[in-house]
Amino acid sequence: MKKFKTKHGYEGLLIVIEGTDGSGKSTQLELLKCSLQDQSYGVMVSEWKTSRLIADVIDDAKERNLLNATTYSLLYAADFADRLENQIIPALKSGFIVLLDRYYYTALARDVVRGQNIEWVKNLYDYAPEPDLVFYLDMPVAVLLKRIIGTTGLDFYESGRDVGFSTDFYKSFEIYQNKCLEQYEKMKKLYGFINIDGTKTIPQIHKIMNKEVQKILDTGILN
Amino acid sequence: MAKLTEKHNYEGTLVCVEGIDGSGKSTQLALLRDWLKASGKDVIYTEWNSSPLISQTTKLAKKKNMLSPRTFSLLHAVDFADRLKQIIAPALKAGFIVLADRYAFTAFARDVARGVDPKWVRQVYDFAIRPDLTIYFDIDPKTSIERICFNRTPKFYEAGMDLKLSNDPFESYLIFQTRVVNEYKKMIKEFDIVKLDANDSIHSKQVKIRKMLNKILADKGVE
Repeated sequence: MKKFKTKHGYEGLLIVIEGTDGSGKSTQLELLKCSLQDQSYGVMVSEWKTSRLIADVIDDAKERNLLNATTYSLLYAADFADRLENQIIPALKSGFIVLLDRYYYTALARDVVRGQNIEWVKNLYDYAPEPDLVFYLDMPVAVLLKRIIGTTGLDFYESGRDVGFSTDFYKSFEIYQNKCLEQYEKMKKLYGFINIDGTKTIPQIHKIMNKEVQKILDTGILN
Repeated sequence: MAKLTEKHNYEGTLVCVEGIDGSGKSTQLALLRDWLKASGKDVIYTEWNSSPLISQTTKLAKKKNMLSPRTFSLLHAVDFADRLKQIIAPALKAGFIVLADRYAFTAFARDVARGVDPKWVRQVYDFAIRPDLTIYFDIDPKTSIERICFNRTPKFYEAGMDLKLSNDPFESYLIFQTRVVNEYKKMIKEFDIVKLDANDSIHSKQVKIRKMLNKILADKGVE
């Protein structure tokens, strides 16, 4: 079998799960992590907005409504840069499978919906390595709404209330998430997302992801 | 690079001072502020890395030496964006004279000296407003270090110790700040910056600055 060549040139594998809030990303990430570890692969997980340095600043600023569209973009970009350079790239260099909950596609979707120029946002992330696989969990807004309301409840920024679409939470969430979905829709082809119907059951989705990852592993790339 | 090279249409006037530490820019700006205030003008003053949103985080991270050049750059961009949108732009709209101790050019000089791509960082600051007057205080790094470090060692980032240019902070400072000065010099033409010799007397520099500002205000029709 022909040896798989990583898109970023590092030893490890870079796998991303994308999708809007409530699409089931973290559940799938956890499952994938376990199944890969069971096969004795080294796995590193990193989630969006978790850099030790900046994540708290973002949470605090959101809490106090201190962010405008530009500082919102830049803070997330700083969080990303910090995680990329301190966690992700070192792990890739040492041959880990790096599983990411969200990647810069999230920023592209959210920032553009907040009115930023897409080229400006792309530039902020232009140094990021290209992932080997991007799974996209496709979920209709109606299902998302139910999931979010049933779990965490509607959040100010997740509902895009800062953009000023509507002062009604429900309405604002609907508009905001639909606009984010439009952006994801555009990116699917451009970035070669593997589109997965997010309304399938958890085991079904896991099976699809496992199969795709397995295809790459079977080439012996990490052996 | 749309905005930084195009004249703004605000009623107010934006004046920036640039140069490495110890070049006397803050002294000149303070003199200018007092004079403008005394003559009854609406003036506000803003300085680099001072936004309540992020400056403390950046300072803390600097103390711990945990910033990569890219994160360093983005955190300063957050600070700048926050002050631009909250302080500088509103004041310009209200007709104020805005005095900025360091501006986007500081980022262009320092970040590029750290190896960040010049085009990338210029694009990051694409939202910056073009100043009406930018003055660069030219000083050689040796004189600068004699002025600011006569009783202390240069700090980690100001000496560019993150770049591992030398184990000796004094030597590292000279190498790094020479790079910074070279970047400033490249920008003089690019951004229409006025260069003043930092070795001139405080009085003679202030006379020149007031003259330049008076002309700008007269052209704008401000009394």
